[in-house]
Order: sequence, then C-alpha cells, then structure tokens
Amino acid sequence: MATEEVPRIGVFVCHCGHNIAGTVDVERVAEIAAHYPNVEFATHFMFMCSDSGQQLIRDKIEEFSLNRVVVASCSPRMHEPTFRRVVEEADVNRYCFEQVNLREHVSWCHMREPEAATEKAIDLIRMSVARAALLVPLEVKTVSVEPHTLVVGGGVAGLRAAIDIDSRGFKVTLVEREPELGGNLAKLSTLYQGNEKASDVIERMVLAARISENLTIMTDSEVVDVEGYIGNFDVTVKNNATDKTEKLRVGAIIVATGFQSWVPEGIPPYGMSLDVITLAQLEEMKRDDKLLCPSTGKPPKKVMFIGCVGSRQPGVQGHEHCSRYCCTAMVKAAADITEITDEVLILYDDIRTFGKGHEEVHRSAHEKFVMFSKFDRTKPAKTTVADGALSVKWRDILAGDNLEFHPDLLVLVTAMIPPEGVEKVSQLFSLTRSADGFFNEEHIKLAPLTTHTAGVMIAGAAQSAKDSTDSTTQASGAAAKAASLMARGEVEIESTVAHVLEELCSSCHTCATACPYGAISFDTSKKPEIAVVTEAECHGCGTCAAGCPSSAIIMRHSTDEQITAMVEAFLMPPPVMGGGDS
Amino acid sequence: MTATVTISKEWIPRIAAFCCNWCSYAGADLAGTSRIQYPSAVRIIRVNCTGRVDPEFVLNALDKGADGVLVSGCHPGDCHYTSGNLKMRARWTLLQMAVEQAGINPDRIRLQWASASEGQKFADGVRELTEKVKNLGPFRRGWQ
Repeated sequence: MATEEVPRIGVFVCHCGHNIAGTVDVERVAEIAAHYPNVEFATHFMFMCSDSGQQLIRDKIEEFSLNRVVVASCSPRMHEPTFRRVVEEADVNRYCFEQVNLREHVSWCHMREPEAATEKAIDLIRMSVARAALLVPLEVKTVSVEPHTLVVGGGVAGLRAAIDIDSRGFKVTLVEREPELGGNLAKLSTLYQGNEKASDVIERMVLAARISENLTIMTDSEVVDVEGYIGNFDVTVKNNATDKTEKLRVGAIIVATGFQSWVPEGIPPYGMSLDVITLAQLEEMKRDDKLLCPSTGKPPKKVMFIGCVGSRQPGVQGHEHCSRYCCTAMVKAAADITEITDEVLILYDDIRTFGKGHEEVHRSAHEKFVMFSKFDRTKPAKTTVADGALSVKWRDILAGDNLEFHPDLLVLVTAMIPPEGVEKVSQLFSLTRSADGFFNEEHIKLAPLTTHTAGVMIAGAAQSAKDSTDSTTQASGAAAKAASLMARGEVEIESTVAHVLEELCSSCHTCATACPYGAISFDTSKKPEIAVVTEAECHGCGTCAAGCPSSAIIMRHSTDEQITAMVEAFLMPPPVMGGGDS
Repeated sequence: MTATVTISKEWIPRIAAFCCNWCSYAGADLAGTSRIQYPSAVRIIRVNCTGRVDPEFVLNALDKGADGVLVSGCHPGDCHYTSGNLKMRARWTLLQMAVEQAGINPDRIRLQWASASEGQKFADGVRELTEKVKNLGPFRRGWQ
C-alpha cells in the first residue's frame, strides 16, 4: 500500500433519525464539509449504520475512488468496528477510517442550542478531515496462539474452567497457592439448592481434574512472573514448598483467584466475645459436625444471625457492594441448625434470595420457625456482654418495637472481599480493579469475561462477589473464550503501536521508564544503544511518545502530526476551497 | 500600553480537550446519552490515554489561539493502561509552571479525572473551565 498517495476523502454525515438532525443542521454541515481540503465527496443520510447507509459508503468509495472515509454520526465507541468493516469491504484500510461523534458529544448535550451545536459539528468534522488526510494504512497483524491455557486459582471456578478446557482437547495448567484444591467451597458444609455436601462437589471436580489427560495440577504454587502477550505468554510459576520455579508458555490465561470472607477485626461486636463468629466460621463448624460455642464448648441453644455486615455499607466499613450469596447462605444455615437448637433469629436489613431455587430455601427457613426481624440500617443493633452472656438490642422497624435477644452464639454474615494478594495479581496480569477491589471485566455487558489485557480472562468471585453457581457458569464461559482463541490458532493484534525512529533516538531510556508494560527494550548491538518496541507487547497508550524528548517515537494511528492537525484545524481553519466537486 | 478587551455576551471561548478513550471520552458519551447539557465551547480530541498527551500539545493549542485546554482521563489507579494517567499528572505540574512562566494564567488549563460512569462529573468540569475562561476573556499573546 502506498503511503504517499493523495488523500481522497469522503464525508458521510448521519441524521441518526432525529437524534442528530433534530439539533444539528446536517445539510449545512455536509455542504460545508464538501469544501474542505482533500474532500472529494460529502453527503448526509438518515442512518449511516443501516444496510443502505453502509452500501452508500461502499458505492461512493468506488465512484469517487475514495481512500479515506470520515463518518460523522454516533460515538466511535459504538460503531467504529462497524464502519471499519464497511470500508474494508470496499478495499479501504481500516485505519483510514475516522469517525466524528455528532450524537453523544454534540446533539444530545447541546439540545437547546441548535446553532452552537451546528458550529461545533462543523468544527469537529473539519478537525477529523484534517486528521483523515494524515491517516496511514496499517497492516493488520496476526500472531500465533500457543495451544495451552493457564488457570490461576484452584477453587470451584478454576477447577470448572480447567476441566472444560481439557474436555475440548487443549492443554491446561491449573495453579493453586494452597496445598489442596477446592478453595473457599471446601470450607463449607452443605450447599444451597439440594443440600449437597460441599466436600462431595469438590471431590467430584478434583477427581475429574486428576483423571484429565491434558490437565496439569500445580498446588502449593504461585505465578511470580508474566511476560509476553496474547497467544504467547511466558509465565513463571514458583512452588512454595520446594522453592523451585518452572517456566510455561501459554496462549491464554484465566484468572480465578476468588475471594476471602471479611473478618471485621476490631469492629464490635466482633471480638467482644469468643461467641461472636462469622458465617464462614460457622460453616466450618457445621462441616466438621462441631457446632459448639467457642467459650464453653457446649452446643448453642439460641443462635442469632446479623446480615449485611460489611456489605452495602459505603463509607461505614468500606464495602459498598452486595455480596450476593449471603442472604441465601444465611437463611440456609439458619434453617439447617433449627433441628439442633431451640431458637434461631435472623436480624436483617433486606433479604435478597434472588437466584434459582433460593426463594424455596428462604421459605423453608420460615417453615422451620426461624424468626426474622428487620432492623433500621441507620441504627445498627447494640451488643453488650455481661458475665460472658451476649445481649443484643435493636428496633424492629416493621413492628416498631424495641427488642432484645440473648444469643449463645452470634453469627455475623460478613461481606465477600478480594483475597489477600489481589494487588500482586492485578500487577502481574495488568488488570484494573473496580472500587470494591474486584477485577474489572473488559465491558460489563458486552465483554464480561475478558479483561483489558488481551488473552487474559476472569471468572468467578475474582470478578465480583457471587456464589458458586454463578462462578462455575462464568468459568465455563471463560473456558470457552480461551478454547476458541486456541482453536483459531492465530489472533489479530492492534497495529496502533509505538515505533522508534532509530536515527532520532538519543538512548535516554525515558520511554522505557514510561512504558507500563515493559514493551521497550534496547538494541545493544548499536552504539549508542537504540530503543526497540516489542510490538505485540505494546498496548498503544502512547505514554512513551509523549515522554520522548527527541520526538523519536511514532505512535501509529495517533501521531504527533495527526493530533496537531486536529488542534490546528479547530483553531486555524483552512481557507475554504473553491468547490469540492471540481 | 494597556489593551482593553471588550467581551460581547455571545463570545464563546474556544477550548481544546484531550480525552482518553477509556474513561473521559466514554464519560462524555455518557453525559450525552444522559442528555446532560453543558457549554458547547469544547472540542474533544480522542487519545488512547492521557499519558499520550505531550505537554507540547497543550502549549501548541494555546499558541494557536485556544482560550483554554482541558485534559481529562481516568482516575489515578483506574488507568486502562495501569499508569499512563500518573505520567500525565507528573507532567502536569511542570506544564503548569511552564504556562505560568509564559505569562499565561494557569486557570486556562485544567486536568481532571472523570470515569466512564461519571458523565455529570465530565460535564461539570467542562462547565467550570468554560466559566473560568469566560471570566478571563479571550486569550491573545502579547506580541500578536
């Protein structure tokens, strides 16, 4: 592809029905655009993204031999992939497409000022036309994918994902930092819906994992280093028992590092008495058939649960999120122990038993005479201890009564929070985290299993608080993502990467310190040594280019010239050329 | 010699904005989809990351006649590229000094963090900068 061809730009202004055209004078905007430098053709149309709109673009590319296309419509975050495909179908390189955001950034936010909105639209199109003239076709690159997936975390999500990948015939390695597989699920007694023993579920999965031909299990092990990129990650795994390290080459990674149950250290009533425990601790007692008061060693007669401890309490105890498993787990635990206790009382803020079969668990707790009382979230219950006996006072806001209960055992149903070491995992795999500390998905609706690091998937409670049902569902999804990547065998990578101009590089190393990915190394065979970008590791942020004091780094598709051209087209409009169709 | 600048009521400042693709550009999209109305003075240039914003881009915009410049990115810790915004923040301190030393009121430039879910925050930032720049009046270099 010739890079010095004369730009022949087509401008396509979209009405988006009434969305844009209702505020912006699209006809005028298109008419003016026709007179900008290098513009061979400009028009406006009802819906550019419709089949007929797409056909119009392809037809005009052919008719006017256009080699650059500007579409002024909605946000590129919405339809850039659509229009890139359209221009590619007409043999225009995808990187020679430029989109102007006339809807989200103009018509919708300046609805009451149609004139100012039209002026803004005219400016924005002029800016994009100036940039389009400087766009360069880029090669669409592919890299091969190593048919091997790494699963980090051997809880229920990690096990499910690893078994699924194995069943598709691909090699998979499961890394777990604990000596045993099973994660948090192995600490539970019985699981809601069906009352299956958690240990049975885990044993079945572990057995399936152990007999899987393509699955390697590494317990007592942690990932200590990750290099490389989608399709070709070089991972170092350290065995903490033997201190030996092993290097693996994998094509995809699934992070299923799970959660930990919050322990409200130092926050009363926790710590006021040995008989104040968390639901996680109660579950371990139930699992071992040793439901005893820690202070006396005797079975409790009266048990009280308090819900939403540390969940849904923004600013108070730091966790804003709903932990999404605890309501059902709490009512199930309460129902379970009615047979061996005299009284069970649940103090709740809200009860959300939303999942399949959860409401039945809730109903069974009522049928087994578990008492429920709703407290006022602004006035939490007050716990006191006298002579080792617990007393809890609160106001029931449905009855309007002040109530008191003397439990032998007080169970705090605490939040699900990210596990210890989550910061390290986030750094290793370059994952971002949401305000609640869990890993961010690429897009909550459109890409919930992939992350911003290409080739790295997330599953289970690593992504957000959830129960084992949802975790395994996600794990199977993430496994399918990994398997489809490996099945394809190769993957397209973005060409919008940094490139070093050797003759300008002054070997100052500023770029290497700026790069968040360690994608810049140095060619020491040259004197002085020259910065080199490993393109597959470059994510295209451009921090190196902005930092380079010698302007030796070209950010492809976001060059200094392309950015400056937009600024100048805005502030120093070019003289209007005498007629776009001549 | 003192120059008097008369500001007509209709004067709309010209503000160049550099928004990162992942947070603030998306935040501006959200402001639009939420129909939040804000001043039309700003022209957004999409960059991958605020880390891409060379201080020279800001100085060049002022040089070419922008009345104000906005740089808007992800909150520290939330950068799509893990730390590009932190690099921008480090450069910003120097940039403010450079702008001030050039005799330009540093209120004409603004660095803000607005996530993809903070449409209102993005719009408020634009409004605040527009108001400040409006009060300062059109920007002209002394020698022009």
